[in-house]
Amino acid sequence: MQQLSIHQTAPETRSQLSDDATGPSARSYPLSIEGVTKSYGGATVVNDLSFVVEPGRVTGFLGPNGAGKSTTMKILLGLASATSGHATIGGLAYSDLSDPTGTVGASVEADAFHPGRSGRNHLRILADATDTPLERVDEVLEMVDLSAAANRRAGAYSLGMKQRLGLAAALLCDPPVLVLDEPGNGLDPQGVRTLRNLLRARAAEGNTVFVSSHLLGEVEQLADDVVVLAQGRLVTQGSLSELRHSASLVRAVSAEALRVVLQGAGGLVESGQPGTLVVRGLSLDEIGEEAFNAGIALHELSRQTDSLEERFFAWTGAGSDTQSSKE
Amino acid sequence: MNSFRIVRAELRKLTSTKMPLAFLIVLVVIGAATAVAVAFGTDMDGSKTFISSAADQQSMMAFAGNALVIAGLFGAIAVAREYGHGTVVLTFLATPRRSEAVSAQLAAAFVAGSVLGLFGAGISAGSVAAGLTATDFGFMVSVSDLVQVLTASTLAGGAGAVLGAGVGALIRNTGGAVTGTILLLVILPPLAVQMVSETASWIPGTLANVVSGIESSVAIGPAILAIGLWAVVPAAIGMFAVARRDVV
Repeated sequence: MQQLSIHQTAPETRSQLSDDATGPSARSYPLSIEGVTKSYGGATVVNDLSFVVEPGRVTGFLGPNGAGKSTTMKILLGLASATSGHATIGGLAYSDLSDPTGTVGASVEADAFHPGRSGRNHLRILADATDTPLERVDEVLEMVDLSAAANRRAGAYSLGMKQRLGLAAALLCDPPVLVLDEPGNGLDPQGVRTLRNLLRARAAEGNTVFVSSHLLGEVEQLADDVVVLAQGRLVTQGSLSELRHSASLVRAVSAEALRVVLQGAGGLVESGQPGTLVVRGLSLDEIGEEAFNAGIALHELSRQTDSLEERFFAWTGAGSDTQSSKE
Repeated sequence: MNSFRIVRAELRKLTSTKMPLAFLIVLVVIGAATAVAVAFGTDMDGSKTFISSAADQQSMMAFAGNALVIAGLFGAIAVAREYGHGTVVLTFLATPRRSEAVSAQLAAAFVAGSVLGLFGAGISAGSVAAGLTATDFGFMVSVSDLVQVLTASTLAGGAGAVLGAGVGALIRNTGGAVTGTILLLVILPPLAVQMVSETASWIPGTLANVVSGIESSVAIGPAILAIGLWAVVPAAIGMFAVARRDVV
């Protein structure tokens, strides 16, 4: 487990990079997945998936292993082609961006390094390919606290160090969009916290941050919005706080009678403890009014706040291969 | 300008690991063996006829055939390992147009292979010269013939590396790419000659000898073109495959 230490980029560097990059930071870049389907042979790994990731927010991308998260990210980044549908960044396919790495910083595989090449040379190659000044390499190495190990072979890095090198590569061109696949894996709690602060700071600047993770505790503290996949399909998406508060708890003597009434009003009703119902799709006011009109006395009516883990299992109906981390 | 920086990045990839050093060591070992053979080797009758004329010495130092195979392996390993280690993801993120990215890989492979070929021929020529000092024969190869040997090896090295890079891009597995390159350059050509004897003049080894000036079964111009085709066809197939495939 590694500690991640993110240092702020010097203001003059950021300004210079923005100027050099013909101002990609000057506009916002929503990410749009529109009706994307991906099939390999007879298997459909992503099925008619549509959602939008908004700038200025951190969006967590959740789903059990094999749900199609990495495939969706690869389609977004032009690394895989969609069988049907489109994935765009600011309205353009990744391959049509005039400055792809200046627009999107991505880390999609934690160990995508030549084991015999140093971390510094790994970044220098990207700097060469993107016409980025080599001094920037040392800056991002410093940002992710890898300067001391920069000349060591990447093959000797721990998983946490590899994650930091991947993050350094994503940050190299100071892009307004970050797409990161499981960036917290291998980081120690301090590293996770620092990563979280970095990503939240970038989102606060109006940048787009799209992060997949199976560490629910991490996402719970990081994300403004979540997109949840299961078996290649969109299960739910929206503001994390709204999604967590989307259920109401109702306790009544005539719980079964109330269930019929609320279902008739369009609510999705589940049984909780004896005499208790968990209701979705109706506001507290609506539930209260329906109960009053039906003459059913309520003993409790409150908003239910689930943990993300509870919500995740409810959304996906899975969980055996998805771990929870509360750091 | 855009292409130049991508090629520069690809060249940095090739030079930022120990692989070039490993291949250089192979060249030195071959050179040392050549020097020993020249110094102490004899023909079946105990004479040293094999180094007694300028043509014999030129034949001894001609390295183009070796350069094709060695640089071919270099190109195959370099590109296949990109897929094996996943570093190709970074390549395609920086250069999403696959044909542009692969063209840069091929260009860098050509440069690196050419350098390997030149070094190989230079070491070979130096080894022959060094070995001759232990014999009664002097160095008889003319400057123009020496230049031809060096140029031929440089060209063959470049072509071999492009061929190997194409095979590496097509197969993407290091072992498979190495096997494929050896099949293409070493094993299949003699089999083809066994089946169709007219192909003997157009197999890589013969073409390399023609360009080196130690064989004249075809003219040099067509030989250079044919070596180019041996390189370009696998490279084009590799590029086509890369453009169509997902990076998984």
